[in-house]
Amino acid sequence: MATERIDHKWGMVIDLDRCTGCQACVVACQAENNVPMNTQDRFLQRRAYEWIRIERYWEGEFPNVKARFLPVLCQHCENAPCEPVCPVYATYHNEQGLNVQVYNRCVGTRYCINNCPYQVRFFNWWEPQWPATLRNQLNPDVTVRSRGIMEKCTFCIQRLRRGELTVERREGGRLDAQALRDRNFGPACVAACPTGALIFGDQLDPNSAISPYFADANEHPHEEDRTTRAYRLLEEMNTKPNVLYLKKVDQYPLKQGEQHG
Amino acid sequence: MNLTRRNFLTWAGISAVGAVSCKIPFPEGELQIQSPVRLPEDLVKGQDNWYATLCRQCPAAEGVLVRVMEGRAKKVQGNPNYPVNLGKQSARCDAGLQALYHPHRLAGPMSRSGPKGAGQYQPVAWDQALNTLGSQLSDRGQGLVLITEPLRAHLGLIVSRFATAFGGRHLGFQTLDDTTYRGAAKSVFGQDVLPGFDIAHANYLISFGADFLSTWGSPTHFSRAYGEFRHGAGRTRRGTHVHVEPRFSMTAANADRWLPIAPGWEGHLALSLAYVIIAEGLQAPGVDVAGLTGGRGAASLEAFRPETVAPRIGLPEGLLVLPGKDAAEFIRQLARDFAANRPSLAIGGDSAGAHSNGQFNLEAIYALNYLVGSVGAPGGVVFNPASPLPDLPAAAKVGSLADWAGVAEDIRGGRSKLLLVHQADPVHGLPPSVGFREALGREDLFTVSFSSFMDETTALADLILPDRVYLEDWGSDIPEPGPGYYTLGFQQPVVNPLSDYDPRSFADLLLAAAQEQGKSANLPWPRLRDFLRESSDALFALNRGSIQAASADEFWTTLLRQGGWWDEKGTGPRPGAAPRDLLAGIAARAAAPSYFGAADGEFFLLPFAHNTLLDGQNAHLPWLQGAPDPITTITWQTWVEVNDHKVKELGLREGDVVRVESAAGVSILAPVYPNPALPPNVVGIPLGQGRRSGGEYAAGRAAPESANVLDLLEDRRVAVSGALAWAGARVRLTPTGQSIRISKFEGTSPAREIGLSPSEDIFKTVSSNGAAGGAR
Repeated sequence: MATERIDHKWGMVIDLDRCTGCQACVVACQAENNVPMNTQDRFLQRRAYEWIRIERYWEGEFPNVKARFLPVLCQHCENAPCEPVCPVYATYHNEQGLNVQVYNRCVGTRYCINNCPYQVRFFNWWEPQWPATLRNQLNPDVTVRSRGIMEKCTFCIQRLRRGELTVERREGGRLDAQALRDRNFGPACVAACPTGALIFGDQLDPNSAISPYFADANEHPHEEDRTTRAYRLLEEMNTKPNVLYLKKVDQYPLKQGEQHG
Repeated sequence: MNLTRRNFLTWAGISAVGAVSCKIPFPEGELQIQSPVRLPEDLVKGQDNWYATLCRQCPAAEGVLVRVMEGRAKKVQGNPNYPVNLGKQSARCDAGLQALYHPHRLAGPMSRSGPKGAGQYQPVAWDQALNTLGSQLSDRGQGLVLITEPLRAHLGLIVSRFATAFGGRHLGFQTLDDTTYRGAAKSVFGQDVLPGFDIAHANYLISFGADFLSTWGSPTHFSRAYGEFRHGAGRTRRGTHVHVEPRFSMTAANADRWLPIAPGWEGHLALSLAYVIIAEGLQAPGVDVAGLTGGRGAASLEAFRPETVAPRIGLPEGLLVLPGKDAAEFIRQLARDFAANRPSLAIGGDSAGAHSNGQFNLEAIYALNYLVGSVGAPGGVVFNPASPLPDLPAAAKVGSLADWAGVAEDIRGGRSKLLLVHQADPVHGLPPSVGFREALGREDLFTVSFSSFMDETTALADLILPDRVYLEDWGSDIPEPGPGYYTLGFQQPVVNPLSDYDPRSFADLLLAAAQEQGKSANLPWPRLRDFLRESSDALFALNRGSIQAASADEFWTTLLRQGGWWDEKGTGPRPGAAPRDLLAGIAARAAAPSYFGAADGEFFLLPFAHNTLLDGQNAHLPWLQGAPDPITTITWQTWVEVNDHKVKELGLREGDVVRVESAAGVSILAPVYPNPALPPNVVGIPLGQGRRSGGEYAAGRAAPESANVLDLLEDRRVAVSGALAWAGARVRLTPTGQSIRISKFEGTSPAREIGLSPSEDIFKTVSSNGAAGGAR
């Protein structure tokens, strides 16, 4: 039963210059992770659950106005502010870089969401309910969270585990970029993203598409020294997220006045 | 040793399970923290199977893989091999699972037991239902009308031959129909099959009206290319995108520059760009300007000088912050950028083609591609081949408003007495003045619906024979627009219907009915699967393309495993020369848009297809109702987008209900959403809501939360194509004093305004000047 596990350190890169705000990732995540249905009532109470969400920001005034789309999910911080405040160790950091929530330890103090600067944790205010027929769709690899506990993005740990089991333990291979992509072992949002704005990979795999960005960001703690567009969300809080963002390229910036290019 | 939290956890864990962990070498650092509580996610069990099939949640019919465990479909994901979407998917694709396991699916055949439209039905046995269908076909089959979703390939052929065999006709229904676009593509490019666009390899893209990243054409196909257009591997520079549209759509939001033009003037702007390119000699090498302009060069477009066009097309003053330059100069610079940054591409659709002069607009837009040498070239317009197999239609046959008015007229005149409807909802999707609802309510008409769900049209049917949901059924598709080469997608059943449901395949019912009525001369197949297998054998005999197989059986299984067959060498027709005098001819047909509706209306009404619900065909799926609109983040509701300053001027606030009125007595109620990116004289209202039938998700909310914007439109048509001119209405807004809460996602998480202070700058940009546009 005990086998050597291959080391991984998962990470995600989100290219804001590719994201179009289309919501494909949002629905894909809900389908994969048994996220309770967002009824109208939940929106009215501002308690809609989206493990990954698209935040839309306005910049400027008509006619020089821009909408900005920012996908936000659990940043899987190395220095996660949610972790030390949990009195029952329900949330911890695993050796693969994931911030993990143990549902059956959680007692629902909600300290973690109070401490999360990204607001990516969701408290189950109600017992999740689906019409009987729709329950056929629920993913058997993912626990349905009951009332009174906290839930959040897992980087689709069930898919990663299935990948490790299949590729590494059974086949003796390695869960690398190709296996993640071609065999559906990567997170559901990444697989769905039509423009390729979401990129997922292993920071320990030099061939992964995310590695150059993490190398750049880790090597240059100051954003202005970096050679890529990489930055971290609320970087000054030193949460050290395992999610990197690539800056939007603004060809006609509003602030600098009109330019032709 | 410092007692950090992690150390503490480690010690706590070891003492809890110390005796066990000494003996067995668990991965270091894991068990101590997990203690005896294992994450269920660590215990993956069971075998999953992934089956390739096609998605039918939107007309693009993307190739998908469906994850099936123990006979239940669990997840839909893009098929990495399928040429249209190459593994990507839209938000709509996933919701196929909710259609499959929907609590309001029609379980079995039903026959009307009350007055028409009362919604009273009683279950009947399939034998009895099919007897009724048979007798209706033999009594009233002559002149029947068969209405379906836009169909191509095998089912397209079956419905078309079926209708012909009975002396009737088949029409595909699309709410925002593309007949104008088809007409323009035909007259500009001479193509019957819709062209594709090589956005991935373009450097400069101007789009007019077409919301191609959200709903227009094949959005996932285009979006994938759009990602490459921005930062594709091997690109030396990032593509530039300019979008021209009166409304701030999702595509406008993603463009580098958005030009809010006055509705219906897109064609004038396009010809003005053409004028500048010709007058300044900026066309691509080898372009026969004389041939395009009847030998007159720029003089043929004299009426479209930027100085003449600029004041008419309504570009807002504030947009043109060019030091010392004016709107005409702005147009000139746009034309120069478009011509200089080849390969450049111009595409148009949606509202640009939905005015009285819509066909002129689209022809003018697409003709620009000849001037920059982009027709049939990399980074330009791609022509798609016809079907690889004879007879299979590669283009959907879609009815225009003129066609639908004709159908309604035939029903009223007693010339059509039998209507067969499949996955189409014309009663919801046509303006009320066409009279479709009244026509379907007539006693001398017998309507059979093959819908899997109750909708407005089905609610008027006499007999309901529920079809299988596509994940339970056979099928095929030739994508349109396609990838530029032969593609035939195959759809296979990935699960059986739940035992509570007893649906039957629409295609198989038609084939059986034709057989029974002795009309099967051109429909010899007992079932659709037999026809698909026959085509598989024919493809095998072609001995080309994506499947290498030793036998026809092996070919068939490989075909189903791959989700289809394609042949990258089977490209579309080579582009011929541009039609003679193309630009001069288009210029001669130029017309200003004519508006209708409230003559004193302060606002132009821009209806638009909803990002996930489309025209309402997905309104019964809760994931798609709950998916926020990309711009407003509104869910589950209809809304009226109004410029935020205008909202204040009217003394309104978000959620205040207004009466939107296009003519005396023609109005809907909807709440206002202040949108900072809308021109002050435009209001936008999404399609998709306003359903009266179909269960609580589709129809559970009454006005003003849910309204059908099509109720505001008149029977006004696009010249030549006869399509609905859905973007030409003017409306008045009248406050009602009522107010409701908008169910939106915005504000659910505490948001930070951009640029308030450096520490809160969470959306970061980099100027393309600093990063040379090719920034990694």
